[in-house]
Amino acid sequence: MRVSDAPHLDLDTSWMERMGEWGTAAQPGKRGLTLEDIRIGPYGELPEESDNMSGRPRGAAERPEAYRIGGYTVRSKKEIWLDNATFLYEEALQRQWSSATDIPWETIAPLADDIEEAECALCTFFNEVEFVAGDVPARWVANISPDFFEARNVLLAQVQDEARHMDVFRKRALANGGGLTRVTGATSGFIGGIDLSRDFTEMSSRMHVSGEGAVLTMFRMGELVGQNPAEKRMYRLCAQDEARHVAFGIMHLRYLHATAPERHEEIEAYLDEAENLPLAGGTNPAGPQAETSEALAILLGGGKQHYDEGFRILLAIRKRQLKEYMQRVVSAGFGERFENGRSPVPGRIAELS
Amino acid sequence: MAAFPSVEWFNAVRERYNSDETLHTGGGGPCEAKAALCIGDHIYLLEFEGFECAEIRQIDRNDIDHVDFCLDMPLYEWVDMVNNIQQHGEADLHHTLSTMDLELEEGLARAPGDDQYKMDLFYRYNQNFQDFFNASAGVPTTITVMD
Repeated sequence: MRVSDAPHLDLDTSWMERMGEWGTAAQPGKRGLTLEDIRIGPYGELPEESDNMSGRPRGAAERPEAYRIGGYTVRSKKEIWLDNATFLYEEALQRQWSSATDIPWETIAPLADDIEEAECALCTFFNEVEFVAGDVPARWVANISPDFFEARNVLLAQVQDEARHMDVFRKRALANGGGLTRVTGATSGFIGGIDLSRDFTEMSSRMHVSGEGAVLTMFRMGELVGQNPAEKRMYRLCAQDEARHVAFGIMHLRYLHATAPERHEEIEAYLDEAENLPLAGGTNPAGPQAETSEALAILLGGGKQHYDEGFRILLAIRKRQLKEYMQRVVSAGFGERFENGRSPVPGRIAELS
Repeated sequence: MAAFPSVEWFNAVRERYNSDETLHTGGGGPCEAKAALCIGDHIYLLEFEGFECAEIRQIDRNDIDHVDFCLDMPLYEWVDMVNNIQQHGEADLHHTLSTMDLELEEGLARAPGDDQYKMDLFYRYNQNFQDFFNASAGVPTTITVMD
């Protein structure tokens, strides 16, 4: 039927007059059509403060009668933003891996009992920790205004990463004649307390910078002690994901440092807490007091009979863990604390030397 | 037969790495990093862009400030690693980059200015760098240096 033959239809197309900006034509770059490529025109403009409570996609036209479906508590750009959110999100999506098929499980072979038990203890610990690392960002996602969806999406990708970490360590524990060990309880105290944070930056500094920074070192240690290609790759791929989460935290703190000087002292207080609790030992499995540090020492030494040698290596790596933490805080803009005597970390590094 | 270390050798590895699509998935996806490889008296820039190793060239020590991180270890360790990969088809358990980084007294990786954000790129993209060096197993190699 030709258009001229069509019966007259009395359509109300007034909605067409309430579009967002029209005529937008984003072009894919070398890495495909990324979120960065579509940050153009008004669609790329972020408000300093968001009054969007209706879940309206950024740049879409408003609908005055829309319900306030979002109980967003994070509505200020400086509370959530980081300059490389789009990049981290695309990276997270494109670097996904499968715990089922990307780990060469066929290379696992029976190990001495003490080595298997130590590896299973470590896997049990990581299972516990990854639950927290997934639960916490998942809880925050719904609190963040959709105007800052790029940062929101990075957190959603993190939840997927943590689910995979949880499952890959469980698989390892159940794949070689061992099993899960007694729960370590590491998620009580500071680690579990991350979930009590009432402010996003408080949560991010605790989780991304202090917590995941420490776990990143643990994953790298895991690769060092890997007994077969499967374990090597498992820890290496987890470390890659973890480094991306740490990057989120550093870049967010860096942004906040530059845009919210009124919050500097508050951030210093979060760092005080981290340096006096998890990074001092306690729930830090690479620390001197944790149950899991014994498992690590057995793995690093190559068995119970070489525990002392393993513990010596553990202390050397712990020193590196603290140094890397320190350098991350410097990179985020809060390095003065290591020069003015506020932080105990330089002293601890000296003790380990 | 390409000589290690040389731009020719690295380019041969680069071709193998870029052309093997199995290396560009499963955790070894797109990568954005510039690394300086300090091998004896020579320094090579290794640049990854998206799914490929985009460039390898020799650089001066002054250029190191512009890279994300350096991989720096004694020459005999580099030779040992390359030989190990040639023998086993990939790095064995004691010769992966991350393992060597933690086993060596001074470490393998460091960032100019101790910028940990940049240093963490070595951890974030570790599989790409490991795959790159593992790809050298398929490059007929002569070792031209002694230490």
